[in-house]
Amino acid sequence: MAFVRTKGLQGYITGDSPVPWLAPLVAMLVVFTIYPLFYNIWLSFHEYVPLKRRLVYVGTENWSNLFADPRFWEALSVTFTYFFVLLAIQVVLGMIIALLLDSDEPGFGLLRGLLTLTLVIPPAITGMMFLLMEDPEFGVLTYILEAMGILSGQDPILATSSTALAGVMLADIWQWTPFMVLIFLAGLRSLPQEPYEAAMLDGASAFQTFRRITLPMMSKVIAVAVLIRGIDLFRAFDYMFVMTSGGPGTSTYTLSLYAWQQTFSFIKWGYGATISLVSLVLILVIANLFIWIAKVRW
Amino acid sequence: MAEVAYHNICKSYGSFEVMRDLSLSIHDGEFAVLLGASGCGKTTLLRMTAGLENITGGELTIDGKVMNEVHPRDRDIAMVFQNYALYPTMKVFDNIAFSLEVKRLSKEEIKRKVNEAAAVLNLTDYLDRYPRELSGGQRQRVAMGRAMVRDAKVFLFDEPLSNLDAKLRAHMRVEIRQLHERLKATTIYVTHDQIEAMTMADKIVLMKGGKIEQVGTPDDLYDRPATKFTADFIGSPSMNFVEGKIHSQDGKPTFVGPHINLPLDENLAAEPGQKVICGLRPSDLVAAENGEISGTVKLVEKTGADVNIHVDLSETAHLVATMARDNGVLAGGSIELTIPSKAVHLFDADTENRIETQS
Ligand SMILES: Nc1ncnc2c1ncn2[C@@H]1O[C@H](COP(=O)(O)OP(=O)(O)O)[C@@H](O)[C@H]1O
Ligand SMILES: [Mg+2]
Repeated sequence: MAFVRTKGLQGYITGDSPVPWLAPLVAMLVVFTIYPLFYNIWLSFHEYVPLKRRLVYVGTENWSNLFADPRFWEALSVTFTYFFVLLAIQVVLGMIIALLLDSDEPGFGLLRGLLTLTLVIPPAITGMMFLLMEDPEFGVLTYILEAMGILSGQDPILATSSTALAGVMLADIWQWTPFMVLIFLAGLRSLPQEPYEAAMLDGASAFQTFRRITLPMMSKVIAVAVLIRGIDLFRAFDYMFVMTSGGPGTSTYTLSLYAWQQTFSFIKWGYGATISLVSLVLILVIANLFIWIAKVRW
Repeated sequence: MAEVAYHNICKSYGSFEVMRDLSLSIHDGEFAVLLGASGCGKTTLLRMTAGLENITGGELTIDGKVMNEVHPRDRDIAMVFQNYALYPTMKVFDNIAFSLEVKRLSKEEIKRKVNEAAAVLNLTDYLDRYPRELSGGQRQRVAMGRAMVRDAKVFLFDEPLSNLDAKLRAHMRVEIRQLHERLKATTIYVTHDQIEAMTMADKIVLMKGGKIEQVGTPDDLYDRPATKFTADFIGSPSMNFVEGKIHSQDGKPTFVGPHINLPLDENLAAEPGQKVICGLRPSDLVAAENGEISGTVKLVEKTGADVNIHVDLSETAHLVATMARDNGVLAGGSIELTIPSKAVHLFDADTENRIETQS
C-alpha cells in the first residue's frame, strides 16, 4: 500500500502539467470562497420564511428594502467614521511611536518585542477589558478622564451616544496601533542609511528629513499597513459586539454588526446576505481605489 | 574662509585601529588630494571630517574651532560620497535641488542652478529620472551635481570619478578644478589614482595604512619622494628600483649594482659601503653607447606615442625605460643606458628613506 501511494505522489510531483499543483488551491478556493460568494448573491434574492421553514424567492425586494432602510444608512455612516478616524489615528500614532522606538540604544529591542503583546489577546477579551475600564462605577479610564476634566461625572462613556463610539475606538487603538508600529519599524529599520547622511550634509532639519526622505521611502510599507488595517477596520465587529451591542441607539452599529443581527437574531438570511454583499463591494472598491491612488511611483 | 586641521587624530572600529596620531592641516582655499591604496583610511578620514563618523581620539578643527562634537548639519560641508548616497525617491532634479530647497531659495534660482550643474555634468536629459534608472557613471555625476550647487565652506570628494570612462574622467578633472578656481573653497579630494592626484592637487597627502607617508606639492612628491613607497606610488610606469652598494671611485660616490656603475652627486649624504636602493624613473633613462647601465632587452611594449623597454640587468634586476618609438631597439638585443646623476634617487636599504643631497 505504502509504496503505491509514493508512486502516485511521485507521478504527481514530477509531472509537467501545472494542473496538479494548482488543483488543491483551486479546490479550496472554490469550496471556501467562490461557492459561498455565489451562494451569498443567490441568497440576497431569497428570504427565509420561518412558517414554511424554507427559502423563498423574493426578487429584488431585499435590495430595495436595504436602500430604504434608515438603519442601514446609519450603520454605513458609523462604519465609515470608525474606518477613517481609526485609520488616521493608528497611522499617525503608529508612525510616531515607530520613529521613537527606531534606535539601537540598549533596551529598545525589548520595547519593540513588548509591542507584540497586545496582538496575541483575543479582541473579545480586549473588549471585556475596556468594558470594565470604562465602567461608570469603578472603571479606571472613567476615573482618569473625569480627573482630567474631559468627562463629566453623569454620563457613562459607553451608554452616551456622543461618546460610545469613541469608547469602543479606544480598545481598537490600544490593540492595533502596535500592529502599525511593528510594520513601520520593520520598514524603518530596513531603510538605507546613506540618504540620511547626505541629507544631514545638505543641511536638512529633522522634519525636512522625515518629510522628504523617510516618508517617501516608507510609502510602500505604509500602503501595505493601511490596506491590511483598513480592511480589518471596515468589518469592525468584535468590540461593539462585546462592549455596546451597537448601542446606545445606533451610535456604534456597524455594517458587520447589523448583518450579523439580521442574519442570526432575526433569521433574515436573505437580508443579512444583502448587507454583507454591500460591505464586500465597498471594501473592494475602497481597497482598489486606494491601491490605484497610492500607486507608489519611485 | 576655512582651514581644516587634524591634530593627532585616532580612529578605531572596536578593537580594530584604522588610524593613529594623524596630523595634517589644509589651508583655506587649498585643493588637497588624499592619495592612497584602497583600505588605507581615506574614506574614514573624510567621514570624520564631515561628522558622519566619530573621532576616537584627537581634534578636528575648522578655522580653529573644534569640530569633534559639531553636528554634520552645522559644519557647512558638501560631500560626494564614494557610494553616491543619492535620494532613491527623488528624481535627479530634486536630488540636486534638495540642499537649495532646504535653504529656501526661490524656485527660479533653484532651477537655474540645477540646470547649470546638469549642463556641466551632461545630465540635462536625465533630470526627470529616478536614480535607479541611471547607470553607475550617471549616478556618480548626480552625486557630483549635488555638491556643485552648494556653496559650502569645505568640499569633500570621495573618489568621485572612479566610475567614469577615461574621456569623461579627463573632462571632469578639468571641470572640478575650474569649479575650485571659481569657488575657492577648501577642498579635500580622495583618490587612489595617482594621475588624478598629480593633475589636480595643490597638495598631495599620500597615505599608507592609516598614516601619512608624505605631504607636498605634486612636484615635491615626484621629484623628491621621501620614501621608497612614495617613489613607487607616484609616476607611471613606476620607478625602477635596483639594490646595490655605495662605492668610492676617484673620491666620488658611485652606486654599484648588477651591471650598473653610476657616478653620483658628490653632495649625497651616503657612506661608502652603505647598502642602498637606487631609484630610476623610466622616463629619465636614455639609450647611450658606453652607458653606465647595460642589459638585454626582454620586451618592447607599445603604449602609443612611447614604448616601454623592459631590460634585464641580471637574473633578479630588471628595468623599464620609456622612449620615443622608432628608436630601433629590438627585443633580444643588448642595450646600454645612461641617466643624469641629478635624476638618480637613492634610498637607504634598511629604512627605505630618501638619502638627501646636502648643499
Ligand atoms: N564601519 C567599519 N567597521 C569596521 N572597519 C571599517 C569600517 N569602515 C572601514 N573600516 C576599515 O577601515 C579601513 C579603512 O577603510 P576606508 O577608510 O574605507 O579605506 P579607503 O577609503 O582608503 O579605501 C579598512 O581596513 C576598512 O576595512
Ligand atoms: Mg574609500
